[in-house]
Amino acid sequence: MTTYIFRRVLLLIPTLFGITLLTFLLIRYSPGNAALLKGGGGESGGKAMTAEVREQMIKLYDLDKPPLTAYALWLGKSLRLNLGDSVVDHRPVARKIGERLPLTMSLAGSALALSYLIAIPLGIAAALRRGQPLDRAISFVVFVLYSIPTFAAALLLILLVAGGDYLNLLPMYGASSINASDMGPFAWLWDRVLHMILPVVCLTYASLASISRYSRVSMLEALGQDFVRTARAKGLPERLVIFRHALRNALIPIITIFALEMPALIGGAVILESIFSLPGMGQLMFQSIDARDTPVIMGITVLAAIVTLLSYLAADILYVVVDPRISYE
Amino acid sequence: MNEPESSHDIYSESYTQRIWRLFQADSFARNGLRTVIVLFAIAALAPFLANSHAIIRVADGRVSFPIFPTLEAIEWRFLLYVPLAGMIYLLRKVIFRRPLACLLILAGVIAGIEIALALTHPVNDPTNDRDRAATFKLMPPIPYSPIESTPDQFVGPSWKHLCGTDSTGRDIAARLLHGARTSLAIGFIAQSIALLVGVSLGGLAGYYRGWFDIGVCRFIEIMDCFPPLLLILAIMGLSPSQNNMFYIMAVIGLTSWTGLARLVRGEFLRLSSLAFPQAARALGAGDSRVIIRHLLPNALGPILVSATFGVASAILLESSLSFLGFGMQAPTPSWGDILSDARRYIDFAWWLAFFPGIAILITLVSYNFVGEGLRDAVDPRLKVK
Repeated sequence: MTTYIFRRVLLLIPTLFGITLLTFLLIRYSPGNAALLKGGGGESGGKAMTAEVREQMIKLYDLDKPPLTAYALWLGKSLRLNLGDSVVDHRPVARKIGERLPLTMSLAGSALALSYLIAIPLGIAAALRRGQPLDRAISFVVFVLYSIPTFAAALLLILLVAGGDYLNLLPMYGASSINASDMGPFAWLWDRVLHMILPVVCLTYASLASISRYSRVSMLEALGQDFVRTARAKGLPERLVIFRHALRNALIPIITIFALEMPALIGGAVILESIFSLPGMGQLMFQSIDARDTPVIMGITVLAAIVTLLSYLAADILYVVVDPRISYE
Repeated sequence: MNEPESSHDIYSESYTQRIWRLFQADSFARNGLRTVIVLFAIAALAPFLANSHAIIRVADGRVSFPIFPTLEAIEWRFLLYVPLAGMIYLLRKVIFRRPLACLLILAGVIAGIEIALALTHPVNDPTNDRDRAATFKLMPPIPYSPIESTPDQFVGPSWKHLCGTDSTGRDIAARLLHGARTSLAIGFIAQSIALLVGVSLGGLAGYYRGWFDIGVCRFIEIMDCFPPLLLILAIMGLSPSQNNMFYIMAVIGLTSWTGLARLVRGEFLRLSSLAFPQAARALGAGDSRVIIRHLLPNALGPILVSATFGVASAILLESSLSFLGFGMQAPTPSWGDILSDARRYIDFAWWLAFFPGIAILITLVSYNFVGEGLRDAVDPRLKVK
């Protein structure tokens, strides 16, 4: 097992290398660069800077070097855990990301936890009543939910319960109220929670569908296995057959799909952060792409890639832990 | 639960027939497929359902068809190719008997259509036939064009404008009908691109294994690490601003093949260790014959299921892109585009968010039901009677 984990961690290195190289070249070969965008003048209008300043800037951002050399320089610095400074405001990339991370993590984390809590019982109930009205009702509702685009749902929810002409229960935009700094600790926390309700609901309902579908299929598969027939044949009560024999085996694939949900959650957070004006990672990525802020884009890419790769790895390891029959030796 | 009916003999039916029977037995899947067909019909007939020009106009003793000269290439394509697909389905038995001849005829027809489209240019006629006097005129049910601005701005749903109008007075119902074209075409073609790339890369990796397999797997892993939307946003945001339909199709297709490649690779790994490909090889079949005639047909079920869900997610991606402002260029109607307009006026213009939301919902639900029905019919592990 240790050898296996070690080998898998080693395999992460070429993948990370590939991701960063690809992203770096994508930014370098795209039209426009940070020096031009900041320089103003030309198409973007604004105050044009002198050629001298622009030259200095190009030198500063390594834009004068060939792409591969510039990438090697970036790689050398990041291997020493220095992600560089943002091109936009010259603050360290690590700090910029660090400020945004908690919001996105709490958004994705609470959505993931909530959708597991709701989806697994739903899936199991549907599997146990296969083909009956309950199964069809759950399938239908979950599928309709899955098919509503998050941004459409977010818009309609804002319209219905936040601001707008109808119900005015929840705040419309942002992560906290303007006067948040004057609030006491509990009022502040409550304010944060109120602001998070709509984004979390939107992020939850979408992954609800896939998890409950997986649970249903997984439970159906378990119920069709020979050991379930054996358990029934030896006269166990149905409750024990389902919870002790079928459910335990059905849970294995359900636990591991959280890894597959990660990229979708991060992607969903991008849209929702944009709609709800939440200052999270997704918004930062948006702004950085716009400003061709290479160090920040690279920093976020590395972080997202590591999170995704590690969750894939964790899923594979969990697989072995919960099911002793599987072995990677 | 139900006893097999005596009318069909379950022992002599082919695999395809079995899947079709199981698919038909699922009412969600059946209705999903019907809705998809209706949506394609709407997309094909959109210019005749919503247009400011009359279909038939009789004035001064002359009969004219003002709608036809204004049709654009993509409208002709939908109008001609959707019935063509229906014809292929109806004539499938003839085609199976003489595949080569039919393929040649088909290629000839498609080449003829494309050449004719390349030679003709649509007439840009900003006038409308609504108020124009005529002895007889047959207007489309929604007498507005999708890019036509009327003086009625921000009008809620009424008999005049069924789904209301937007900030420049464009009729939302007309934009929705024409937007169906964008969504369906992008979903279908983007997924075809993904299918081509995914099946060939995954299939070759699963068949030849070794270094090629390791390389493909690493590449898939790299692609999967980017959240799909972020990757597309990066490509769209960084590329020169040529946001035309084919560019969007290519970007969505080339970023969403990894799931299919994984699936096909797994299937090929499993299948090629079974006895029948070996038997084929022992009879002298080459690699390409084993792959195309033996392995691919056996992996077709799961591929089809995955591709159906893929179409739904491609449509969703396209509308998300348009919503974020990285999608189709301004005048082209697209559902996501209407929604992104809705975002600006969300505090009062509910119809701008509601109707396109419903349109996307219906499309995605139908495709997903078709996919789910196919999955249940194809998967032998979910014991179905």
